[in-house]
Amino acid sequence: MRMRTRAAYGFLAPYLLIFATFWVWPIIYSFYLSFLATRIQPWSFNPTVTWGRLVVDPAFLNALKNTLIILVIQVPVMIALATVLAVLLNSQLLKARGIMRFAFFAPVVVGEAAYAAVFRLMFNADFGVINKLIGSIGLSPVAWLGDPTAAMALIIIAVTWRWVGYNAIIIISGLQAIPQDVYEAATLDRVSKPRQFFFITLPLLKPIILFCVVLSVIGTMQLFAEPFLITNRGGPGQATETLGLFLYRQGFTVLNFGYASAVAYTIAALAVLISLANLWLGRSAR
Amino acid sequence: MAGVSLKNVVKRFGSIEVVHGASLEVEEGEFIVFVGPSGCGKSTLLRMIAGLEDISGGEIAIGGVAVNDVEPADRGIAMVFQSYALYPHMTVERNLSFGLRMNGNDKADTARRVAKAAQILRIEELLDRRPAQLSGGQRQRVAIGRAIVRDPQVFLFDEPLSNLDAELRVQMRVEIARLHAELGVTMIYVTHDQVEAMTLADRIVVLRAGRIEQIGKPLDLYDDPANQFVASFVGSPKMNFMAAEVASIEDGRVTVALVNQGSARLTVPAENGFAVGDRLTVGLRPEHFGREGEGDCDLSIRVDMAEHLGSTSYIHANTTSAEQLVIEREESRSEIGMEHLTVSIPAAKAYLFDASGARLR
Amino acid sequence: MRSKSSSTLRRSIALHAVLVPLAIVWLFPIWMMVVFSTMPENAIFSPNIHLIPSDRFWENFLILQADTDFLRTIFVSVVVALVYTVLSVLLTSMAGWALARYSFAGKGLVLLIILGTLTLPYFVVVIPQFIMVARDFGLANTWFALIVPPLFNSLGVLFMRQSFSMMPSELFDAARVEGVREWRIFLFVGMPLARPTLAALSIILFLASWNNYLWPLLINNRPDMMTAPVALGSLIGLTKVSWGGIMVGAVLLTAPMIAVFILLQRHFIAGIAAGAVK
Repeated sequence: MRMRTRAAYGFLAPYLLIFATFWVWPIIYSFYLSFLATRIQPWSFNPTVTWGRLVVDPAFLNALKNTLIILVIQVPVMIALATVLAVLLNSQLLKARGIMRFAFFAPVVVGEAAYAAVFRLMFNADFGVINKLIGSIGLSPVAWLGDPTAAMALIIIAVTWRWVGYNAIIIISGLQAIPQDVYEAATLDRVSKPRQFFFITLPLLKPIILFCVVLSVIGTMQLFAEPFLITNRGGPGQATETLGLFLYRQGFTVLNFGYASAVAYTIAALAVLISLANLWLGRSAR
Repeated sequence: MAGVSLKNVVKRFGSIEVVHGASLEVEEGEFIVFVGPSGCGKSTLLRMIAGLEDISGGEIAIGGVAVNDVEPADRGIAMVFQSYALYPHMTVERNLSFGLRMNGNDKADTARRVAKAAQILRIEELLDRRPAQLSGGQRQRVAIGRAIVRDPQVFLFDEPLSNLDAELRVQMRVEIARLHAELGVTMIYVTHDQVEAMTLADRIVVLRAGRIEQIGKPLDLYDDPANQFVASFVGSPKMNFMAAEVASIEDGRVTVALVNQGSARLTVPAENGFAVGDRLTVGLRPEHFGREGEGDCDLSIRVDMAEHLGSTSYIHANTTSAEQLVIEREESRSEIGMEHLTVSIPAAKAYLFDASGARLR
Repeated sequence: MRSKSSSTLRRSIALHAVLVPLAIVWLFPIWMMVVFSTMPENAIFSPNIHLIPSDRFWENFLILQADTDFLRTIFVSVVVALVYTVLSVLLTSMAGWALARYSFAGKGLVLLIILGTLTLPYFVVVIPQFIMVARDFGLANTWFALIVPPLFNSLGVLFMRQSFSMMPSELFDAARVEGVREWRIFLFVGMPLARPTLAALSIILFLASWNNYLWPLLINNRPDMMTAPVALGSLIGLTKVSWGGIMVGAVLLTAPMIAVFILLQRHFIAGIAAGAVK
């Protein structure tokens, strides 16, 4: 019916208007911006100071390196932990399931500012409760915010704390989609529980785990609030400066929109590439 | 009340044509049943009458007015759906009144109509319940009640009984027949169940692959099917079909050889267009087989399985070839345990079809 | 052959031996947030370990309120999150309804664009968004800037589309035959039936808005239009600041969400899990 088609457009139009204005158009505009020299008015076409600068800017390369280091360590650790947690939390034998799930899922609702504040205080080198606890078992305190390696570790710990429950929720939903009789059959075939995990659970969970990996890669590529707030704008020095933080500086501190857009597109391209690589690896390993 | 007229109605989904020019005149107050196997286009045709599907070609008129461009609500129809389509979040009362309320109908009038429909269908005590608290039969009543409330000129039913168990189905069938008698309103009813069609319809429309194969009164379809498809679709158990070849032609009669039945020969009255050697199909309903010597041609069959139901028995015979026969017999107790049987074919009851399935007379 | 019950018992012990300590570690930061918020400043920075809440929450709150008008920022956050949630649910439900229940020209393209751009990092759009809202529209430090641009979020469209398309179409056909207008079918049949999905979606959207940090940080810097997370974040970097006060702010930001999480856990988890089952 023509009337009904009109109704469909009517339902779609308000959202599409917003979507086009605040999502589709910026994507296009940002690409255009990435070719402009925006430090001096009027803006002019000059990709050498945007795309050209990327490859020679040590600050960018530092941020890229830091981000990749975090990515390579944090994503696998977190996903592995999330998978194990999901299986354990889904176990029939678990007592006090509600409290247990709460412990791991609660960080999901904690805002970046709130959890950054707590972590910053807990990991304070002189008065932080973590160092006090470390000291109480006779180890020497760690300069969490002063030592480059320790600061990176802190970021990884913080992000893992915050997001592992989120991924576990997704993986549990995948686990619950696996029919129980598969395990019953395996048990009758005398397949041990650990082997059931490796030969039944993991292969069946693979698509959902890959999905989590992709989500985490995209998230980590955009890491911003943690280095901004916990390690005090990427400190010590530039040791925890991430691509997100670097983009923030270029875009909103220096107001160099063109260069920042080139950085943004680089982040996007890397996120897509790494995600695709993951998907491809996941597929070929089958 | 109004009749419904279909003129050369065509339905296309994209480039695929699913209804190929259907024409039909439904009289005022008539009960019409669309019947056919799944995918034959019967539901699509009904939804086009309802206005839920666009009409790609041709014209549909209700009460003499073309409705091609009329919204469903303005066609004077009401529809009962296969899944009942009751709003699960509303009580029965709200389900019945929803359409009227949404269109700003007078409150008192709405209440009156709901009460009347509830009374007709004997669901007064269910009005405060939700669909989830109802049995299948009760849901079906509410769905019909929702149609009655609209006081339509034409009722449309889309396989309304197919979700019910066998016993309820019979009961609801009687109910719908009573409703039709009581309201006297035009009803168009879609089903794949030929028993429903035979018992409910004033006239049956048999559809296959988007084409109307035959329109007629139930017993006319049974007695005088237009083609092999209708012959096989109407009647239960199905008509038997036997491959045949024209052996000789005489004046007004043709003799065929039943090639898979030991070349038994049968002479049937027939008029024109035969040639010796033509391949034909002979059809005979299970209930028309006679005892040995009673008919015009005897067949010796091997009994593979016999179902003795008391007054009636069904003999399944798979003779030498893959051509299975079902034979209905009465008073067959003496034959229990017999492996071979001779039955006969009365020529007057046999139908002839050509290779394309068209009836030969 | 081992007995069944003893092996079950052993597995149960191992399971809890792993999970219980880990759960304590995971709860620790939230617990410490509460502890810190109730401690006097000098106790936070003393060499002793305090793991038990004290009684200075109110004093710390007064300090926080003096440092930054935190109640005002909470008010801004509540209004933004509420209005955003309502608008986003409405807009995305309508779009999801259109994509699920109608066929029309361009439908495939719309879906393709929404799905295709979903994986792009937010950073790609944040700069032009900022230029557009702050410079071209001149709308920095406004309710509009806080609420409207984030409405692009397509999560609801996909989520609601999924929910609507699983409903039997005969329900809506029945309403159409009864002459119910399309927008009323949406409002009185579709939406009520999608209630569980709507609950999950609302919670996720509210949470996202409540915790949103980067966009409000960029677009609003006037104290009276700051959201609570931005205000809290701005305190963290300062040298002379009350950490007890900051922790009170963290608790005030977190406690309502924890409460929502506990009360509506089922919807909450459904909302997160839905992201994965597209």
